[in-house]
Amino acid sequence: MIDVKNLCKSFGDHEVLKGVNEHIEKGEKVVIIGPSGSGKSTFLRCLNLLEEPTSGDIIFEGQNITSKQTDINLVRRRMGMVFQQFNLFPHLTVRENIKLAPVKLKIMSDEEADKRAMQLLERVGLPDKADSYPIQLSGGQQQRIAIARALAMNPDVMLFDEPTSALDPEMVGEVLEIMKELADEGMTMVVVTHEMGFAREVGTRVLFMDGGNIVEQNEPHEFFSNPQNPRLRDFLSKVL
Amino acid sequence: MDSWLQASPAWIASLPDGLQTLLFQLYQTFIYQDRWTWYVDGLKITFIVTLGALILGIIIGMLIAVVRTAHDSQRAGKHNPVLGVLNAVCKVYLTVIRGTPMMVQLLISCFVIMVPKDDTGRLICGIVTLGINSGAYVAEIARSGLMSISAGQMEAGRSLGLNYRQTMWYIIIPQAIKNILPALGNEMITLLKDTSLVSVIALRDVTKQAQNIVANTYTPYVPYISLAVIYLVIVIILTKLLGILERRLRASDRR
Repeated sequence: MIDVKNLCKSFGDHEVLKGVNEHIEKGEKVVIIGPSGSGKSTFLRCLNLLEEPTSGDIIFEGQNITSKQTDINLVRRRMGMVFQQFNLFPHLTVRENIKLAPVKLKIMSDEEADKRAMQLLERVGLPDKADSYPIQLSGGQQQRIAIARALAMNPDVMLFDEPTSALDPEMVGEVLEIMKELADEGMTMVVVTHEMGFAREVGTRVLFMDGGNIVEQNEPHEFFSNPQNPRLRDFLSKVL
Repeated sequence: MDSWLQASPAWIASLPDGLQTLLFQLYQTFIYQDRWTWYVDGLKITFIVTLGALILGIIIGMLIAVVRTAHDSQRAGKHNPVLGVLNAVCKVYLTVIRGTPMMVQLLISCFVIMVPKDDTGRLICGIVTLGINSGAYVAEIARSGLMSISAGQMEAGRSLGLNYRQTMWYIIIPQAIKNILPALGNEMITLLKDTSLVSVIALRDVTKQAQNIVANTYTPYVPYISLAVIYLVIVIILTKLLGILERRLRASDRR
């Protein structure tokens, strides 16, 4: 589904990604872990071109999205993204947050989008917050709304950029729960996270990034019980 | 004044001299020959010029702010040449307009550039000049407003598949407007007061009308003080209205 070939990204002189190669299949739940500065967020943000790669190709569903001919806006409709800081639109109600993109992009009529929004709010367990403004909600609730907003576009893949890192510890669970349900429904997911429990339980594959490259990857059980790379062993001994 | 005293009620003659004079001047300023209608006519022009210049200023200001922000938020090493040219034009505009007095701009635009022949022409000339002037100040206000919105908002909009223009229009600008409303209101009040300068291009705004009255009465005291009071009252009303609007827009900030 997503094919990454020799992906490089530099910010000025600073080389963040040094030729990453990766293939993500439909239905996979890929969890990316690694120390800060290892390039994992940059890698994720390159997948929907929020960061423009310096070089390399990203093929999404057979389409090279790094090519100049590709309309990235059409591609992004099929890739939902959830941010660390939620990034809900503070001037709109929860319902309007979810409806905005489908309606403005003329994918759904206003009534359809309204129905879809309520459906999604039902799913993330917040139907009574439809007419609240984001600032009136807790961090966990905001993140659940952000997930609903991304799902409103019916994406083929969901990208999560440290979705629980900005949350109070007691709110982490509710967000992970929603993500777990989403995984169980068969959604393709790429998740950058520090939640090792989630990686182990939900991931079908775990990647360890360090120094701008993927240095080790495996299915979760093997990954955590039998790490090969010394850097990964060191990392796991610190976080587990 | 003597003929006025004879025609007026007897109690006025029993007042102290100073008060008599004041009442006479008030009479001359507002009532004699229905001169209050001069003020009203002048206010119409003042409002038309303010409103027209404000709308034009906001349009110009927003456009410039968007160009400047888009230019400044480009990634290092990836510069769009068209945006570069537009940005340079905007910068020249900002420098020239903010670097010269409004009065001088009015004189140049109406006696050198446009040279209108009739009242309507002068009115348009006044609106355009003030609008262009105001646009430079609105641009900087709007730019600060756009920059106050976190980059995450743009990313969230783009990640949903909205293009740059749609994200600006539906997500960034509405939030920016809310943030800049106090500054924008301030600019509107400044603009209203600055319209008094259009008297130099012979537009009969409320200031020009007060001057006309003084030219008839030869007593500047009451006409000019009244003029100041008129401006003050309008500004106070505008301030109140802006306060109400701000509170409305803050609805989404309430916890």
